[in-house]
Parts: sequence; C-alpha cells; structure tokens
Amino acid sequence: MTPSFLGGLSFALGGRKLSVEESVAAGRTLSGEAELSDAGFRFHHVCTDDESAYDLALAAVGGRPDQPAGIDAIVYATCLPVNANLAPPSRFEASGDVKDLMDYPASRLQAALGLDRAIVVGVGQQACTSMLGSIRLARGLLAAEPEMERILCVSADRFPPGARYEQAYSLISDGAASCVVTRHDGDYRLVAAHHITNGAMVSAGDDETVGAYFSYTHRLVTELLAKAGRTPADLAWVVPQNTDPKAWRILARLLGLDDERVFAASLADVAHVISGDNVVNLSWLEERGVLESGDLVVLVMAGYGMNWQALLVEKT
Amino acid sequence: MSPSRPVVLVTGAGGYLGRRLGRRFLDRGDHEVVLTVRTEAGRSALAHDLAPASARAQIVVADLGAPDPFTDVDERLRRRITHIVHAAAVTRFNVDRELARQVNVEGTGHVVTLARQCPHLVRLAHLSTVYATGLREGVILEEPDDGAAGFANAYEWSKGAAERCVVDQGDDLPWTVARVATVVADDESGRVTQHNAFHETLKLCFYGLLSLLPGRADTPLYFVTGDAVTDAVARLSDPAAPGGVYHVAPDRSATLTLEQVLDLAFTRFEQDEEFRHKRILRPLLADRESFELLVGGVSSFAGSLVHRALANVAPFARQMYVAKVLDNRRLGAALPQHRAPDPAALVTATVDHLVESRWGRRSEVVA
Repeated sequence: MTPSFLGGLSFALGGRKLSVEESVAAGRTLSGEAELSDAGFRFHHVCTDDESAYDLALAAVGGRPDQPAGIDAIVYATCLPVNANLAPPSRFEASGDVKDLMDYPASRLQAALGLDRAIVVGVGQQACTSMLGSIRLARGLLAAEPEMERILCVSADRFPPGARYEQAYSLISDGAASCVVTRHDGDYRLVAAHHITNGAMVSAGDDETVGAYFSYTHRLVTELLAKAGRTPADLAWVVPQNTDPKAWRILARLLGLDDERVFAASLADVAHVISGDNVVNLSWLEERGVLESGDLVVLVMAGYGMNWQALLVEKT
Repeated sequence: MSPSRPVVLVTGAGGYLGRRLGRRFLDRGDHEVVLTVRTEAGRSALAHDLAPASARAQIVVADLGAPDPFTDVDERLRRRITHIVHAAAVTRFNVDRELARQVNVEGTGHVVTLARQCPHLVRLAHLSTVYATGLREGVILEEPDDGAAGFANAYEWSKGAAERCVVDQGDDLPWTVARVATVVADDESGRVTQHNAFHETLKLCFYGLLSLLPGRADTPLYFVTGDAVTDAVARLSDPAAPGGVYHVAPDRSATLTLEQVLDLAFTRFEQDEEFRHKRILRPLLADRESFELLVGGVSSFAGSLVHRALANVAPFARQMYVAKVLDNRRLGAALPQHRAPDPAALVTATVDHLVESRWGRRSEVVA
C-alpha cells in the first residue's frame, strides 16, 4: 500500500452547550438524567437556530492550525443525507426543481476555501463511521492517483430541528471534524483500515444495535489487527466513539487490552459528535502530550447502516 | 378405590414435571393418585389436561406458600398415603429470595410434616436440581451437600436448603432426593413445551439481542429430557430402589461443553434463512467480570428488551464458570436400564424445534 499519513486534526461543535439536565427537561432525550449521567454524559452541543452543518464544517476547517493549501481533493462526509444539501426543503417544494436538492456543501467548501485544484467527493450512508470511511477513501485515492498529494477530509452534521438528541442510548452533539490525509508527512502514519457493513441490519432497533455491538466491534478490531500483522498487545491507545465507557471496559477485557489505554475523555463535555468522536478524542489525547513516536493507536466507530469501521495509525 | 392399592400424592402437579409424574402414575393404573395444585384455577386446568384419566385422580389445592397448605388432605387420606413425590417448587432462576424461601424451603418443610403424618409411607421422593449443590466444582457425589460452596442465585439456595430440610428433618423418613439436570426437551424428538433459561438464552441469541454470553468454553452442561426424568423419578419412588441422593443426569462423558452447545445451536440457526439474512455473529464468551460489567451497565446503554434478556441470563451466569463432574453411579446401580440420550442429537433436535416453532410462536409446529 502507498504510504499515507494523517494530520491537521480539527473540529467544531454546535454553538449551544447544554447540560444533560437541560436537555432532558426540554425533552431532547429518551433516557432520563440518571441514565445519561450514569453513562458519563454531562453536556452536549446543539446548533443555534441559524447554524448549519456546513457552518460547522467551515469552522472546523478554518480552525485548523495550517490552512489547507495545496489540497487535491475534498472528501466531505455527512451522516444524515439532509446535511448533504444546503438548500432548505422549502426551496424544492416551491420550485419542483431537483437542482434545489443538489446545493452541495462540498462544492461550497471548495469555493469558500479557494481550493481550485481540488476535486470534491461526497461520502454518505456510513452514519457515524463516515469520517473514518472518508480517511479510508482518501488513502485509496492517494494509492490510485499518484498526482494527488493532500486530501482534506471533512465530516459535518447537525440534527434537524425537532430531532431527538439521543441515539442508541448516547447523547448526541452537532459537530464537524476535519483532517488531512497526505502522501508524505503527517502526525500519524496510516497503517491499516477495516470496514464491515451488515446491510441487513439497516433498520435495526436500538436493542439490536446494542446486541450486535460487542460481537461486531470485537470482530472489527481483531480483523484490523490481523490485516496489519499486529496484536492487541501492540496497541498503545484505543480511541473509540463517545458511548458509555462501560462498553469499552468490556470490549477491552474481551480483546485482552488494558482498559486504561482506552481514551474517550471528551465524552462528558462533548458527548457523541456523530462521526467526529475519533478526531475529537485523538485531538484531546494529543493535547495531553502522552503520545510517543511509534505508538500504535486504533480508532474505532460503529454506526447505523450497520457499519463498523476502524483505522490503525502510528504516531510519527 | 381399593384400600390395598398404594396411594401416591404428587405435589406441584400443575407444573412441568409434576404433571408428567401425575400422568405417569395414572397411566400405570396400579396407584391411587392424589395430585396437588396451587390454585383452584390450576385444579380445573389440570383436570382438563389429564382428562379422561383425571377422573381417576383426586386433585386438591395445596399452596406451599401458605402456612398450612395440606388442609384438603384429610386425616383419612393421610393414613392411606404410601408415596409422596414432592415436585412443587418455584423454578425460576430469578425468583426472589423471600418467595423461594416460602415455597421451596418452608413448603418442603410442610411436605416433610405431612410425610410424618402418613403412617404407611414407603417413599418420600423430593425433586431437586443439580444446582442445589450451588457453586461446588469438581466431582460431586450423590450425597447430601452442606451448601458451603455458595449459590449463584436464590433459587439454587432454596433448593439446597430444601434438600437439607428433607435430609435433616426427615431422617426417620424413607426419603429420596432426585437432583435433576437441565430439562431441554420433552423427549428425544426435541419437542419443547416449557421454556427455561436454556431456551430463553438461545432465543436472545437467535434474535440478535445478546452477543455476549457468560461462561467458559469448556464448562460441561448436563441435559436431560422430561420423559427421562419422569421415568427415573417414578422408578426411584419405588421403595425397591434404595433411598438417598441421586443425580438424574448423564455422566460427564455424555455431556457437551458450552462451546459445543453454541456450535450446534448456531449451526442450526445458520440454516434458517431469516437468521442467515441478518448475519448475526456467534456470541462471545465473556469472563465473569466482563459479564458482570455488562449486567451492571445495562441500565445506561441498553433498553428494556436487553434488560429483560439479561434478567433471564444473569441469575445463572456464575454457573457457566463452574465445571461440575456429576457422579451418577448410584443412579446407574438403582436404574441400570436408564440411558442418557446422545447429547449432540438432543441439542440439535431441540434447537431445530425451537427455530421451527420460533420458540412456540408458530403454534402449528408446537401442536
């Protein structure tokens, strides 16, 4: 596989920070305050009325320490199809013109950032795993197209007005995340990627989702490590999605990992940022200054569809 | 009714094994049969179920949770009773301790008291469970157990205490304790008419609600059929068989491990188109702490279905880490004709029935 690297992690969150108590009281959740608090959630972030998923994407990219100069492609992912069209539904209802269903945020982002050379690729239907899926696709693009050097990956979602901010017992935040996949240098070397889809579970209920979580996540990580010729003992860190930490305490035991190496410290403050959790948690891990060159880190995500994706990266 | 005929009283005749034993004694025709049920509704249901043979039985109400449950067994009848087969019990693994104490422990005390008031009694047969020995590991002999190994749940504790009640309070009675293994099917055809934790656990796996199971891969599981248990208990109730403790269970060589049972079950599941379509993975076997984390954490990351699922599995989870080697030489000596079914064939047939009937929801298969 062509060498590829990951860097420039950044994210942005919805403009309103709400406590669990506030959102339970406002009816934004199914679970009560006790259940969500017991799962480790304290706050979540919800877009203001005039804030779109695209605004979050722009903020995430704009907030990167290095500007995305010299980008050859943008891979722009959304979990919710509604976030892949910036035009309000009323526009199509009024016009009946399908172009009003194609006001693509990726195109707007390219124009806004002046990335004239970049092609745009939209990624959908991978739910919460779509950022990891975008990185995987970017890696594939670098391998397939030797002229490409740098690919900007962005995922951005906000829940529509009136949506419940809880899915499969996790408290949700609106948010966007971005990173750059490069051919030559970056903070992390991409070692391996793995993706499992079980389309038959596309309409799985929350209980079936939880029911499948352990066996599929275990298989995902086991197969990822096998691809890379590694074992759980080689892992320095696991950076999962923001869900109840007890789930990963169990998985760590099943995989033979030290659960203190599972890092999801942003959960209380940030909640489940749809497909941005891995970027948020890896950023927090970087800030703690505990990562060392050569450390192997696995990023793991499960999402509807059903999809399970994981990346194995090595700190450079 | 001829006074010279033996009179057998079966408690818990509305339950799965009690009903089978009642029918067995009625079919033999050489006993006068008295059947006890917990409620009036139970009496009607049993009479209907056993008809026309029920016309030959006396069905009385005796709630073992009550302070004096055998008031309907009058003194005249007590003087004629020759056999008592005590099958009444609350058999749910998740029974609460107080109910288990009332029915299983104190209820057994009431049966022992009744037995003392039967001057012609030749056998008091107490149905117990192999789990009455609780968490005891290794070779377990057919002898009274002191309960020192502890118990996985209140049900086991109560059955252990009930055994000690029979042994200690009935030391001058002709007692027999039949420790029964897990009944997985009515007979070797795999037909299932009463579900227990074994069937419920497989159901959860089939519907994809449980991908973690408690247990070690090599834990042996002891399975029997309702027919085999009924036959063995009926024969052990005959005073020709020596009294004492018996394991109505196969010996270790005729058991399957937990891993083998799951392999057989999932091999059958995977032949089902609906199951195959969903691509449900085989469950992972979790160590005890991991499973306890799951049970403890389920309130925050799972809903009511998973809650109910784990409520069925959790109470016996600790047993799935306990390797019991049940000695059944006394049973073999007393009942030399008793044969354990082929365990793989039994599990396969049972799972086949469960899948075909969708755990009883497709009534035409069950009927």
